[in-house]
Amino acid sequence: MAVEGESREQALPLFVPQAWDREKGGRFFHTSEEGDESLGKGNRPALNRVPGAVPGVITAKLDDLLAMGRSNSLWTLTFGLACCAIEMISAHMAHHDFDRFGIVTWPSPRQSDVMIVAGTVVKKMADPIRLLYEQMPDPKWVIAMGTCATSGGPYYKSYSVVMGVDHIVPVDIYVPGCPPRPEALMDGFMKLQSKIKSDARNRQVDDLSAPVVSPKAEKDTDDGTA
Amino acid sequence: MSTQPPLETVDMMLNMGPQHPATHGVFRMVLTIDGEKVVDVRPHIGYLHRGSERLAETESYGQVVTLFDRMDYIANLNNELAFVRAGERMMEVEAPERAQYIRVILAELNRVASHLLFIGTYAIDLGAMTPVMYTFRERERIQNLFEHVTGARMMHNYMRIGGVKEDVPDDFVPWVRRLIGEVRTGVEESDRLLSFNEVFLGRTRGVGVIDAAMAVSCGLSGPSLRGSGVAYDVRKDDPYEVYPYLNYKVPVGENGDCWDRYYLRVLECYESLSMIEQCLDQMREGPIMVTGRRIARPPAGQVYVQSENPRGDIGVYLVSDGTDKPYRVKVRPPSFCNLVGLRPMMRDAYIADAVAILGSLDIVLGEVDR
Amino acid sequence: MTEQPNDETKPAEADAPAAPAHRGPPIVVAEEKLSERGEETAFMLAQTLGSLVMESAGREDTPWALVDAKDLHAACEKCRDGELNTDMLNVLLAVDWVEKIQVVYVLYSTSNNRKVILRADLPAGSPSVASVTDLWEAAGWFERETHDLFGVAFPGNDDMEPLLLYDGFEGFPGLKSYPLHDYEEW
Repeated sequence: MAVEGESREQALPLFVPQAWDREKGGRFFHTSEEGDESLGKGNRPALNRVPGAVPGVITAKLDDLLAMGRSNSLWTLTFGLACCAIEMISAHMAHHDFDRFGIVTWPSPRQSDVMIVAGTVVKKMADPIRLLYEQMPDPKWVIAMGTCATSGGPYYKSYSVVMGVDHIVPVDIYVPGCPPRPEALMDGFMKLQSKIKSDARNRQVDDLSAPVVSPKAEKDTDDGTA
Repeated sequence: MSTQPPLETVDMMLNMGPQHPATHGVFRMVLTIDGEKVVDVRPHIGYLHRGSERLAETESYGQVVTLFDRMDYIANLNNELAFVRAGERMMEVEAPERAQYIRVILAELNRVASHLLFIGTYAIDLGAMTPVMYTFRERERIQNLFEHVTGARMMHNYMRIGGVKEDVPDDFVPWVRRLIGEVRTGVEESDRLLSFNEVFLGRTRGVGVIDAAMAVSCGLSGPSLRGSGVAYDVRKDDPYEVYPYLNYKVPVGENGDCWDRYYLRVLECYESLSMIEQCLDQMREGPIMVTGRRIARPPAGQVYVQSENPRGDIGVYLVSDGTDKPYRVKVRPPSFCNLVGLRPMMRDAYIADAVAILGSLDIVLGEVDR
Repeated sequence: MTEQPNDETKPAEADAPAAPAHRGPPIVVAEEKLSERGEETAFMLAQTLGSLVMESAGREDTPWALVDAKDLHAACEKCRDGELNTDMLNVLLAVDWVEKIQVVYVLYSTSNNRKVILRADLPAGSPSVASVTDLWEAAGWFERETHDLFGVAFPGNDDMEPLLLYDGFEGFPGLKSYPLHDYEEW
C-alpha cells in the first residue's frame, strides 16, 4: 500500500523556523538571548519611520489613526483546533455577529492580522503553529482562546499536549473558559482593540539596533513616569 | 516527430495542511495528483491527540464524562450517553425511566444540532455561504435549551452513571415542543435551499462512490455506511434506552455517493424531531438517578457497549479492576473508522471533489485523535 | 485491597460504600452471564473455532474467546468466512496487564447482527501478532494506533508509520509503565 513518491515526502523535513529552538524551552516573552534577532520584536505593531523627521503632534495623530484602522478591521486566521473552534464559529455567525466589528475570518495567514488559537495545542501541531505565525506579516496579534491554549486546560497532565500556546508564540490576550462563550471571545476582542489603541498611544521611539529587553527590565530603568 | 523524447510526467503531491478552511479541524491530507485528477490520498492525523484514553485511567468515572464531552465536541451528549451506558453495563444497573427519556430527548436534540452543523459546513465547503448562517441560527436555539437544562452551551457534563445530574426545569416540555417546531422550520429551510439544487447535485451526485462490501470492510458506520445501502443502525439492531418504544424509520441510501450521505442526515433530522415528540408524550414523573450509589466502583470485568452517534457507531470498551478509576478506556470513534473509507472514495476524483468527499464523511478531529 | 478472584457475590450487595476510603473495599469480580442470544452466538463461535479456543465466556449477548497469538489470524479468517460471517472489524485494541498485553478484536456481522470478541495474550517484552489487514481494510489504522501506543508489532502490515504521535516520540504511552506524570512543561 506504499504510495509512490512516499520516500520523497519523507525526505523533506517539515520546515522548522530558525528562531524557535525546542531545546531552549521556546519562551518568547523573555526575549533576545544571545542575538536572536528575529525573536525580539514580540507583538509590537509595525514601526513608523516618521517620528524622526516630523514633530510629535502630527505623528501622534497618525499613530492613533492607524491604530483605529487596525483595531476596527482585524482579520482573523481561520485556525480552529478543537472544541473552542465551534464557539469561535458561533461567534462569527448571525447571532453573535463578529462582522459588525470588522472581524472576518481569512483562510490565508499571509493576509490576516490575528491568530486565534482555539483549542488544545498538541506537540505534533507545534511546528505548524509556529510556521503559520511566522507567515503572518506584522502587525500581528495572537489570542489564546480557551483554557487549553492558555495553559493546557483539562489535558494538563497529558504526554502529548503543550501546556499553553505561549510556549510557541507570544500571546496578547488570554480568553479563559472551556469553551469560552462567544460573548467572552467578543470581550477578548474588545480588550485587544483597546490594547492596540493604547500601544499606539504609549509608543516610544524605537531604535532598531538596540537590543530589546523584557518589559520588566524596561520599567526599572524608566524615570518613574510609567 | 519520432526523434522527440517521450514526455516525462511526475505526479504532484499537494498538501492540504493541518490548517485549512475545509478540513474540519486539524487534519492533513497529502493528495497525489496527476493534472486535476487525484491518484492517491494519504491522510495524516494525530494533530489533536491529547491522550484522553490514558488520562481517563487517572480519573474517577464521574470525571471521565468530561473527557468524553470533549472528544466529539459537536455531539457532546451522545458521547456522554455512550460512556454512561458502558458504566451502567459494568455496574449492572439500569437508569430509571424518566432519566432514560430525558437522555434520549437530549441526545436526539444533539443529533439534530450536529446534523445542522454538518449541513452548514458542508455547504460552505462547496462554496455556498448562506446556509451556514441559517443552520447556526437553529443551533443557537438548541444550545439555548441545553444551557437552560444543563447549564452549559457545549460541554454539558450532565449525564451520570445511573441517571442524569439533576431533573429538567419545569418549563422543559412546553419549551421543547416550541423548539421542535422552530427547528423543523429551520431544517426545512436549509433543505429546500440545498438538497435539490442543481449546482449542489452536480457537485455531489456520483462523487465519492463506495460500494457496500468495501464500506463494511473499511468499518464505516452511521450515515456514511447507510448511504451505500447497508441498513446498520445501533438504535435498531441493538436497541438501548427507550428506543424500542419509539416509532421511527432509519433512512438508507442507494448509490453510496456524497449526495446520499448528505440527504440521509437531513432525513435523520426530521426523524429525530418526531422521536423527541414521542418521548415528550411518553415521559412521566419519577426519579432521575439510581438510588444508593455515590461513588461508582464497578466490579472487575470488561464490557463493550455501542451507541449511535450522529457520525456513526461509537463503541466504548471499558476495563475495570474493581477500583473507582477505570483500568482502560478505549473508544472506537466513528470518525476514525470513517476516515479509512476516504481512500477508496477518492478513486477518480478531482481536486474539487476531494473537499466534497471529505466533507460528506462528517469527521470531527477531536474524536479521530482523542 | 485484596484480590478475591472466586468471589461470587452479586455486585448489588457489595456496592454500598461502607468501608472508609483508606482501607478500600474488597474487589468484586463481575460474573459473566450470557443472554439467550449470547448463548446462541457462543455456540456458533465454539463451532467455528473448534480447537483454537483456549478459554471462553461472555457477557450479555457478546461471547468472547481466548485464542493463542499464533492462531489469531486463522481464527479471524474462520469467523469471517464461516457461519458467523463477521464482515466488519469493529475495533482492535490492546489492554496492558503488566505481565502481558492482551489484544482484543471485536468482530461484527452485518448480516446476522451478531458480535463476538477474540482475545490473545502477548508477552510484554516484544508483543507481536500477525496483521489482519488482508481480511478487513479497517485493521490498518487500528494496528498503527496500537503500535504507536503499546508497541505491538504487526508483521504483514506494510504501513506502520506513527499515526497519532509525532515522528520521534520515544516510548509507548499506552503502557502502564510510561511515566504519565513526569511531563515536561514545554
